[in-house]
Amino acid sequence: MRISYEWLGDFVDLDGVTPQDAADVLTRQGVEVESLTMVDLSQIVIGKVLEQTKHPKSRNDLWIHLVDLGDRKEQIIAGAPNAIPGSLVPVALPGTTVPNGKVVKDMNIAGFRAAGMLCSAAELLLGDDHSGILILDRGTPGRPLTSVIPSQAVMEAEITSNRPDCMGHLGIARELAAGLDRPLTRDFMPAFTGSADPPGRDLVKVGIDDPDLCSRYIGGVIKGVRVGPSPDWLQRRLRASGVRPINNIVDITNYVLLEYAQPLHAFDLAKLEGPAINVRRAHEKERLLCLDGVARDLTTDMLVIADATRPVAVAGVIGGEESAVTNATTDILLESATFNGPSVRQTSRVLGLRTEASARFERTLPPELALAGARRAAALIEELAGGTVHREWADVYPRPQEPVRVNLRPALIDEVLGTHVPLEESEAILKRLNFHVKVMGDGEWDILPPVFRLDVTIPEDLVEEVGRVYGYDRVPPTLPGHRHDRWTPLTQSVDRRLDEVREVLAGAGFTETWNPALVSYGKLEELRIAAHAMRVSNALSDDMDTLRTSLLPSLVDAVALNRDRGRDGVKVYEIAAVYLARVGEKNTQPEEPLCVAAVATADGSPEAGEKALRRLKSVLDGCISSLSAPACTYQRAAAELFHPGRCAAVVLDGRQLGYLGELHPTVTTGAKIEGRLVGFEIDIEPVLAASRTPRAQPLPRFPAVERDLAVVVEDTVTAGALLLAIKESAGELLEHARAFDEYRGAQVPEGHKSIAFTLTFRSPERTLTDAEVDTVISEIRLGLEKRHRARFRE
Amino acid sequence: MSDPSEMTSQALAAIGQAQSNTELERIELEYLGRKSGKVSAMLSNIGRLAPAEKAALGKAANEAKRAIEGALVARRAELEQARLADLAETEAVDITFPGPPLDRGHVHVLTQVRRQIETVLESLGYQVELGPEVETEWYNFEALNLTAGHPARESWDSFYFSPELLLRAHTSPVQIRAMQRLKEPPIYIITPGRVYRRDPAEATRLPYFSQVEGLAVDKGLTVGDMKGTLLYMIQSLYGRERKVRVRPSYFPFTEPSFEFDVSCGICGGIGCKSCRHKGWLEVGGCGMVHPQVLRNGGIDPTRWNGYAWGFGIERMAMLKHDVDDIRLFYEPDLRFIEQF
Ligand SMILES: [Zn+2]
Repeated sequence: MRISYEWLGDFVDLDGVTPQDAADVLTRQGVEVESLTMVDLSQIVIGKVLEQTKHPKSRNDLWIHLVDLGDRKEQIIAGAPNAIPGSLVPVALPGTTVPNGKVVKDMNIAGFRAAGMLCSAAELLLGDDHSGILILDRGTPGRPLTSVIPSQAVMEAEITSNRPDCMGHLGIARELAAGLDRPLTRDFMPAFTGSADPPGRDLVKVGIDDPDLCSRYIGGVIKGVRVGPSPDWLQRRLRASGVRPINNIVDITNYVLLEYAQPLHAFDLAKLEGPAINVRRAHEKERLLCLDGVARDLTTDMLVIADATRPVAVAGVIGGEESAVTNATTDILLESATFNGPSVRQTSRVLGLRTEASARFERTLPPELALAGARRAAALIEELAGGTVHREWADVYPRPQEPVRVNLRPALIDEVLGTHVPLEESEAILKRLNFHVKVMGDGEWDILPPVFRLDVTIPEDLVEEVGRVYGYDRVPPTLPGHRHDRWTPLTQSVDRRLDEVREVLAGAGFTETWNPALVSYGKLEELRIAAHAMRVSNALSDDMDTLRTSLLPSLVDAVALNRDRGRDGVKVYEIAAVYLARVGEKNTQPEEPLCVAAVATADGSPEAGEKALRRLKSVLDGCISSLSAPACTYQRAAAELFHPGRCAAVVLDGRQLGYLGELHPTVTTGAKIEGRLVGFEIDIEPVLAASRTPRAQPLPRFPAVERDLAVVVEDTVTAGALLLAIKESAGELLEHARAFDEYRGAQVPEGHKSIAFTLTFRSPERTLTDAEVDTVISEIRLGLEKRHRARFRE
Repeated sequence: MSDPSEMTSQALAAIGQAQSNTELERIELEYLGRKSGKVSAMLSNIGRLAPAEKAALGKAANEAKRAIEGALVARRAELEQARLADLAETEAVDITFPGPPLDRGHVHVLTQVRRQIETVLESLGYQVELGPEVETEWYNFEALNLTAGHPARESWDSFYFSPELLLRAHTSPVQIRAMQRLKEPPIYIITPGRVYRRDPAEATRLPYFSQVEGLAVDKGLTVGDMKGTLLYMIQSLYGRERKVRVRPSYFPFTEPSFEFDVSCGICGGIGCKSCRHKGWLEVGGCGMVHPQVLRNGGIDPTRWNGYAWGFGIERMAMLKHDVDDIRLFYEPDLRFIEQF
């Protein structure tokens, strides 16, 4: 909300308080001033236009003005035509800086001297209007502009949703007064009621159909008003707040909204059928031509203000065009009502229309505020637009505001804040904020919050009121410390445990990425991994409407992105959850297994892919071993995203963790990646669960014997099967067996391959002799021959 | 048969002139070789000599052997010393020649910052608690006093799967779940994790980001304790010269509520361009836990109270490393990630 420093001065003495001081007090108290714009008008002077003629040569429309500046006359050229002779205008002479930052120079425009400029409201930062020269309604030529308009300071403040009372200058001024410990010079409830006969409530019939959506409706009748422009000071304040002046009646309702935070509306009484007001839900197929010129379809969820026959306003959001106040209006109905906050927000959302009124109503306003706002507006209308206000307004109030009382044990203030605030100071602060404090016999305080503060309901709310005015910067920082007889020993976090995995991956050249979990459903479907996908019902866009079921597509995209930016060899990984809907169970939370996935690029040849895959396997083995979990095994498998001939299920203790393999060529080409990709994705949680503290083994006391064995088998026999056979026929002396080479070619029959193994033998009791090892090797060969029809190359 | 002393002086002269270990090895073989060495040769006819002559020759041969051995050791040491003395010239390399690139992967900066935050808060006794990202309406909103129609809900515009199920808008649901599970204070936890809000992507915000929230529930906790905890955390992460201020604000789940700011690291709090002349940088929200929220977590607010805070990991990383666009964190451009 925009706050005018000058306006605050109406309610609190700002002598010695700079705009920056005021902004600091407000921010410290919870009204966050995000920016402060100073508008220095002291260099601008008042001029009176004596003559206005069209520039004869210029291609654009320009006007030459002869301006009286008191002691002299100057020729000034302007683009806007509204400074007609007789107008009083703000003039910036050469050498001065206009508030918007423009420096004025002596100029010559197409042969005519221009000694300064005439300023618009926007140039003076007095509003957003830059359509014409600002015309003043009073002032003496030659005198500084500040003789009629003081220099301005405008703060942009964020008002928290619990404080609708601060969406008006009076509420802000109350905060400032409390912070400065100065009196607030305006009472919340104006005394004005109007006195004309007959009673207003006899001139219009007001009814509320739905008291849940409208807890109060006040309708004041004012007759004989003269509609016309508002006085300059009022227009200026509206402009400074970003509101366009229209006519005195509408301007006054807007002015009171900006002052009291109570939205008001004025109807042309003559145009209301009845005249009656009926606050009801819209009927089906009703339509309203709104004040902004747009006709809107209404739904039965929306609350409207209707006359005897038709809607005339959308309650709390916008008025109707047909019943609006015009220059021909003489009698008005002034509406000041209290609408249900959530209902107004809903309506405003559905209509896609947020107004100054709806922004306030949607935060739930107190019904007592409706009366204060109505009285203030009626008084201003009588003063500035003439007319007579009829006494005894229609005031339908089906849900009277219940007074809230809060009991406070004053020691709670010190207990919660952690510092000592003297009781008198706490009491004084509450009183400055218009709370009524009564000290009870038992020392407790019986507190009545002011009627405009619906947000204060529990003792902690009162602690906050005291704390924010007392000043939280006066609360010394401490660390909590208690003697506890129970505690929870520290468990290392999952993410810190996974740092072991990150170390392995970093050492192997893999870089960690964080990728968005929201991806495109279409993409998942195309990759055929959408079966368990959770789809968002109110996505911002199609490309992030679904939770990913796999990390691999994100990593493939990462490879493509880096390739596009000139990087070819890429190794990336991610540690994150995937989201798998539980099939057949609606409305249950999905499984969110924490996964580790990695992808690396390889050249295009099958051999390159195979080599990269083997290396990746070592990386995955290293990851699992870094967590001190038992080694996993690999079983030939088929899975979406993976190459049909190059994919393994990763199995740990009989449980499948995920897959490792070369990615399917369609996945690679789909991302327009040349060459091959290898990758894995595993659920890391079972690995963490299988992790055991490593126990030290005695170091071997006797030397090992290594032998290589080249085994020739049919192509279909796997290295895994051979290793298993070797282990089973070797007995205890075989310490370790490792495959290190695969060969097809000249010395191997067609349809066969040769796999070379290094076998390590060792006895814990003695140094092995060649003869002993030869015996075991024979056993192994025998086993391989029997089970896999193996031959051996020497 | 040569004269032993003559032979010895010849050997010593040769050793003294030798310029390399190879030469010395040859000399050693020539004189001390087991079969054909000159010292052994001296003794080849010893069997035919009288006992007294035998003894004299044996003694002479031994003396010659010791003298030659001693000279070899000394000369080898001299040569080694000379070699070491000349190393600066003989084995000099171009030390400015760069090493080959190391194939080293990087840990993402958000992981690094999250790790630092966890470490700092663990040092104060906080435990990491995790929870689901797809949450129920109750845990995400109701339990935190954000009832349907509450005006504050606008700040937590969320992605829904159904009216009951949504992507959590903050990690606060984990606080409720942790209170329900742990039951009995003291509870000191932090809840790092991904969260989601329906805000279009911009340089300063994303529809998805990561948070760390903290929760302390104990006896007699104060706003001062909360301030101290935040200050400890910020100074540990950014340096002890940093200051923290809390500004009153509003959240339905804390009372009183605050936003907390950190003094600008560039100007030290005086005001500069990067803090928009405020001297302070907004970091997160905090407050004393609302009694109803404690109740919703199964904690009796008449016996215990608490404070909580939350902030974005990305925001912390941006402040720490001068990153000016939050989108960079989730765009896996290695040129960015490898900077940290
Ligand atoms: Zn700064």
